[in-house]
Amino acid sequence: MTATLTAPGKAAADAGTGSTMIGRTPRRQIYLPLGLYLLFTLIPFYWILLFAVRPTGSTSLVPWPITFEHFDKVWTERSFATFFQNSLLVGVVSMVMTTLVALAGGYALARFDFRIKRGFMLALLCSQFIPGALMLVPLFEIFAELRMINSLASVVIAETVFQLPLSMILLSGFIKNVPYVLEEAAWVDGCGRFRAFCAVVLPALRPGLIAVGSFAFVHSWNHFLFALMFLSDQGKQTIPVGLATLMGADSVDLGALAAGGVVAAVPVVIVFAFIQKWLVTGFSAGAVKG
Amino acid sequence: MTMSSRRRATAALALTTALALTATACGDDGSGAAGDKGGEGSGKGEIVFWDNNTAVRQDIWQEIIKDFEKANPDIDVTYVGVPAENVQSKYDTAIQGGGLPDVGGVGAAMLAGIAAQDALEPLDKRLDKSPLKGQLNPAMVDSVRSAGGGVELYTVPTSASNGVLYYRTDLFEAAGLDAPTTWPKFYEAAKKLTDKGANRFGYTIRGGEGSIAQALDAMYGQSGIGDFWDGDKTTVNDPENVAALEKYVSLYKQATPSADLNNDFTKMVAQWDSGQIGMLSHNLGSYQDHVKALGEDTFRGLPNPTTGAGVRVQVSNPVDGLGLFKSSKNKKAAWKFIEFAASHESNSKWNESAGAIPANTEAAQDPWVKKSEPTKLAAEALNDGSLKIVQLPYYLPDWNTISKAENEPNLQKVMLGKMSAKDFLDSLADQLNEAQAEWKKERQ
Repeated sequence: MTATLTAPGKAAADAGTGSTMIGRTPRRQIYLPLGLYLLFTLIPFYWILLFAVRPTGSTSLVPWPITFEHFDKVWTERSFATFFQNSLLVGVVSMVMTTLVALAGGYALARFDFRIKRGFMLALLCSQFIPGALMLVPLFEIFAELRMINSLASVVIAETVFQLPLSMILLSGFIKNVPYVLEEAAWVDGCGRFRAFCAVVLPALRPGLIAVGSFAFVHSWNHFLFALMFLSDQGKQTIPVGLATLMGADSVDLGALAAGGVVAAVPVVIVFAFIQKWLVTGFSAGAVKG
Repeated sequence: MTMSSRRRATAALALTTALALTATACGDDGSGAAGDKGGEGSGKGEIVFWDNNTAVRQDIWQEIIKDFEKANPDIDVTYVGVPAENVQSKYDTAIQGGGLPDVGGVGAAMLAGIAAQDALEPLDKRLDKSPLKGQLNPAMVDSVRSAGGGVELYTVPTSASNGVLYYRTDLFEAAGLDAPTTWPKFYEAAKKLTDKGANRFGYTIRGGEGSIAQALDAMYGQSGIGDFWDGDKTTVNDPENVAALEKYVSLYKQATPSADLNNDFTKMVAQWDSGQIGMLSHNLGSYQDHVKALGEDTFRGLPNPTTGAGVRVQVSNPVDGLGLFKSSKNKKAAWKFIEFAASHESNSKWNESAGAIPANTEAAQDPWVKKSEPTKLAAEALNDGSLKIVQLPYYLPDWNTISKAENEPNLQKVMLGKMSAKDFLDSLADQLNEAQAEWKKERQ
């Protein structure tokens, strides 16, 4: 390992040229790539926003004059109000179910030793290699047998099932990080396993739960395939399917499509804005120390 | 049991009950897969209609459904808009697992695959007894019959959306160019209207999804070859078609934006509507989008250019139609809806909204057809005998795979100069010849 010391004179010279230091890295070495990356990622968003608020037929590169006609159209005429509610329901219920079941499964994987544990973990990992499209017809037939085609519950169940393996692995890694002796101490104080778990382990899992829950929500919110295939009633479709219905075979209303895209992106942006700190902590802690 | 334990047990019970109720509520059994016999039904009750090209067509379908329900108060039609890009997979899943509609929009390009899975009801007998008999464009009927295998009629045709060369009249006038009515004029305009420094281009080429049909249109249009098959062998790799493709592809980056390599129709149309490009090959379906973006007076839409010898050749565009699914338990009501949708008034209304050519011959005479220039010219070219149509083999179950996933990446290689036009067309020809031989063998 090598360490480099910056001479006081050099630091002063850097400061003099406007190249201040954060730790040992000059500010421009952080902000220049960051700025370029932001530009690269934000331009498509700007483009969507531009099309969403620009009047039809305008070729202006700035969003002026502004119109909300496209938002009005998708929200009222194209039933996005209904799609939004359906997506919200699918997203929230999938999130709750995924988190609850993954918590129980993750706890079992972290705290119990059983004979097929390694095989089970391997199966969980391998299940990630199976694309949803491959399971479409079998799932369709199962839901048809259960009389659940055209029901939001079919989408919720399919989303939950497909997200459980990764969520369980992440949460088990997180639970392993909570010292077992804390739980044992709670037992000594008279708690049962469940109460000890609620009182000692659960509060320490907050970053992991937020990470897994938000990941489940965002995935369910964005996922297209199951909603397209299992739901036929127009009143039960979700936002991603609604967006796809805005694109015809040979004609597309770009303004409406962009407005629909903004409506679809808002909840995801809000979720990430609130939980980004927990998300990073949660994923890194769960993934690295598993 | 302590208070908190009771609360937890109650909460768990409530959650389980809620999930169980959610799981079973409002669902159906997804009945109606291929092989289900269905039934004629009473001619009353509910029928489900899948629109295969929703988006901007949704409003006009809702209007037609409203008219139908007014004329047939005992029948309720449930409209389901299916995204155009995913119709094939939605039908395929429903054919395997159940949940087919009573009536569905089925374009000629996917008809062969659906008919081969025995999901559609043959319609000849119903059509013979229907007021629609003799009212449907014979060429469109032949086209959908051919797409369904050549024997039975599986869909009632509703519209055709012919290929159109759109061009900017204002840019052509400013550059002192003639309308691109011939291929030599087309190439001259593509070159002259290009000013790469000013980000202006003469043409936008389709390099992404859907590129094969457009390339075939340009090839046969220039070579003047009028048939897709010469006996059992395809003509796609005829030396004249190879030369035509080489010339057409040479436009890429010389007279088109370099981003055209990934152009699907959405990007292509959006680019053209932004006003920096002189010409666009698409179909009648995007006419209204251009009107909204550019206004009626700054562009025109013409049928494909003619060869130097004055021959006009175009490849067939898929004819859209309505199919009656075998699994329907209410075929009587479903057929009534098909008859209504293909009738003079409804068919005219729908096609006026789409800017397409009506399949109903009376609707094709309506005044709006003459007012919309691209539709009028396309209809005239179809009817006056000046246009040779190269019938693409939509009847081949493998057509969609061959003309999309398997060959679009190769056409991109040709555009990038990593593959020769001859190698590309030879490979395409081999696949087509094989698929044709297989199809013929299965029919024997």
